[in-house]
Amino acid sequence: MRTRLRGHAATVLVAALSAAFGVVLLGIVEVLTIAANANPVVGDLGSAGIMLAILAYVFMAIAIYVAAIVTTNTVATIVAGRIREIALVRLLGASARGERLRIAREGLSAGVLGAVIGTAAAWLLLAMLVLVGEGTGLLPAGPTYAFVTGQMAIPVVAVVLTTWLAAWVGSRRVLSVTPVQALGAAVPTASEALRRGRRGAAWAIEAVGVVLLLLGAALGQLTPLGVLIGIVGGICSFTGIMIGAPLLIPPVLALVGRLFGRDPAAVLGTRNTLRHPERSARAAIGLVIGVALVTMFVVAGMTANEIVMQRMAAEWGTTAPLDSTLGTMMSILAFLVGFSGVIAAVGLVNTLTVGVLQRTREFGLVRALGLSRGQLRRTISVEAVQLAVTAVVVGFVLGIVYGWLGAESMFGSSQVNGLVAPVVPWVLVLGVVVVAGVLALAGSLIPARRAMRLVPVEALAVE
Amino acid sequence: MQTKPSDLGLVARVTDLTKTYGSGPAAVTALDGVSLGVRRGEFTAIMGPSGSGKSTLMHIMAGLDSPTTGRVWIGDEEITGMGDAALTLIRRRRVGFVFQAFNLVPTLDVEANVTFPFELDGRRPNTTERAWIDSLIDSLGLRPRLRHRPAELSGGQQQRVAIARALGARPALVFADEPTGNLDSRTSREVLALLATAAAEYGQGIVMVTHDPVAASHADRIVVVNDGRIVADEGRLTAAAASELVLGLEAAR
Repeated sequence: MRTRLRGHAATVLVAALSAAFGVVLLGIVEVLTIAANANPVVGDLGSAGIMLAILAYVFMAIAIYVAAIVTTNTVATIVAGRIREIALVRLLGASARGERLRIAREGLSAGVLGAVIGTAAAWLLLAMLVLVGEGTGLLPAGPTYAFVTGQMAIPVVAVVLTTWLAAWVGSRRVLSVTPVQALGAAVPTASEALRRGRRGAAWAIEAVGVVLLLLGAALGQLTPLGVLIGIVGGICSFTGIMIGAPLLIPPVLALVGRLFGRDPAAVLGTRNTLRHPERSARAAIGLVIGVALVTMFVVAGMTANEIVMQRMAAEWGTTAPLDSTLGTMMSILAFLVGFSGVIAAVGLVNTLTVGVLQRTREFGLVRALGLSRGQLRRTISVEAVQLAVTAVVVGFVLGIVYGWLGAESMFGSSQVNGLVAPVVPWVLVLGVVVVAGVLALAGSLIPARRAMRLVPVEALAVE
Repeated sequence: MQTKPSDLGLVARVTDLTKTYGSGPAAVTALDGVSLGVRRGEFTAIMGPSGSGKSTLMHIMAGLDSPTTGRVWIGDEEITGMGDAALTLIRRRRVGFVFQAFNLVPTLDVEANVTFPFELDGRRPNTTERAWIDSLIDSLGLRPRLRHRPAELSGGQQQRVAIARALGARPALVFADEPTGNLDSRTSREVLALLATAAAEYGQGIVMVTHDPVAASHADRIVVVNDGRIVADEGRLTAAAASELVLGLEAAR
C-alpha cells in the first residue's frame, strides 16, 4: 500500500515528545517509590505515592490531549497542501473514503514510529537521571532502580491511538475534494469559511459552558462542591472556544498585527495570517491551550492561597509562611504543564514551514518585484511572532478567567471578605510572552531560510 | 571613452550572452552568443518555440537570472555579476513586470498591489507620481475595484492591475512574460494596446516574451530566438507574417 511519512515529521516528533513525557513521568514515580522503600524511615510511600501517580497521569493526559490537537491540525495542513494530488487520484478513480483512510494510516505509522522513538529516548533519560541521582547521593545506594514498568504501555498505546484518531479527524477535508480540482489551473485559494452550523454549535456550547462556570462559582460560595459543576462548565466552554477559534483568533491577530507597523515586510506577514483564518487558528490553538492551562493552574493556586491567607489572618491574626512551599509547587506544576506548550510550539513551527512551502510562488513574485532577502525573512518572522503573541494573549485571558473561577468554585466558601480578585503572576506572564516570542522567532528561522534560498525565476515556475 | 548604452538610445542591452545549465556531457545550452539592445519607447516582442531560450533571455535581461558568460546592462548600469541585494533594488526601482498568471500579491487589495513597488522602498508616491497612478487607474478602469482582492477579479482585470503596477513607478523598462497567455482574444487586444501605448506615449522600453503571433503583431519589433540564438530581427509584422517566420524555423529543422 502507498503509505508514506512524507510531511509527517512534525507528527512523529509530537508523538515522540508526548510518549517520552508520559514514560518519564511514570519512570520517576517508580524510581521514587523504589527509593522510599529502600529507606527504613520513609518506608512505603502510601497515599503520597498514589497522589504522585495520579498527578503523573493528569499531566500525561494534558500533554497527549494537546498533542492530539496539534496532530489534527498538522494533518489538516498536510491535506490542504495535497489537494491537487488527492484530486488527481480521485480523477483516476480512487474513492474519497479510501484516500482518507490512507492518510489516517500514515498517521498511525507516524504515531507508532514516534512512540517507539519517544520510549527509547525516555528510557535513556531515566537511566541517566538514575546515574546522576546515585552519583550525587540524592538516591540512596543499594536498590536496583529498575524503572521500566508495565504501566508504561499506557502512555505508549494512548499516543499511538490518539495520533491515529487525530489523523482521521484532521483528514476530513479529503471528503470535499472533487476530481475536477485536478484540472483547474488556479491555486486553491478557497477561504475555508466557517460553516454556519459550526458557528452555531460553537456559540451554543460556549453559552452552556459559561452558564455552568458561573453557576459553579456561585455555588462555590456555599460549598467546595461547586468546583464539580465548574469543571464541566470549563470543559464545555473550552470546547466551544476551540470550535469557534477561527472566529475568535482573527480579530486578535489583526489587533496584534497593528503592533508591527506599516513596513511592507510586516504588512505582508500580518496580512497573510488573516488570509486563512482557519489555518491561523489551527496554528495558534495548540499554544492557546498550553498557555491557558499553565496560567489556569497558577492563577487558581495563587488565588486559592490568597483566600486561605485572608481567612487565617481574620481568624488567628497571623499569616503562616505557606508562600515558599506553594511557590515551589506552582513552579513544578507550571513546568509540567509547560511541556504541553513545547508540543504546541512544534505544531506552530510546522504550520509556518508548510505555509512557506505552499507560498513558494507568491514569494517568487514579491522577490521578482523587489522584496529583498532581508525583507522576506522579516515577513516570515513577523508572521510567526504575531501568531505566537496572539496565542499567548488569548491563552492568558482564558487561563486567568478559568483559574479564578476555579478558585472561587472550590474555595469561595472559605472567603471572609467577599470575592477575591484573581492573583496574576506577572513575572510568569512576562516570562511566557518572552519565551513564546523567542521560540516563534527561532522556529521561523527554518522556514525563513528555506524561503531565502528561493531563486525568483524557479519559484515563479512552481505550480 | 566607451560608448554608453544610452548614447545609442538603449534602455537595456546584452552582449555575447551564453547560458548553460549543468556541466559535462549533460550540459544544456539555453543561450548561445546572444546580443540585443532595446531602445527607449520601443515595444519589442521576443518570439520562439518552447525551449528556444526566449524566457531565459528575458530573465537575464531583467536581473532575475545571471548569464554564464556575457554582459548585461539596464540603462547605463552594468548588472553583470551584481549581488542579490543590488539586483533586488534594480528590479524594484528600474524594472516593471507583468507575468502570465499569479501576478498579484493575493493578500493585498488592488490599490496596494499597484503601489507595492513604492511600499517596498518604504515611501509613498509623491504628488506627481500619485497623479500618474490615478490616471493609470482611471484609464485602466480599475477605479471601482480599488478595494478588491485579486481573487475577486477576472483574469483580464488582474492583468490590468499588473500593468498599472508595472507602469506606476515609471520604470524605463517593462518586461512582460506571455502577458496574454490566459486571456480571451478581446481582453488580449486591450492589454496589448495598453503596452503599445506605454511605449509610444510614455517612452518606456517594453520587452514581451510570447509565442503568439497575434500578440507579437502589436509590437514595433519582433526578435525570434531559436536554439539559444537570435535567428531573425524584424520590424513590425502582421500576425500572418510573424507566424510564417516562426513556422519557417520549424520547417528548416
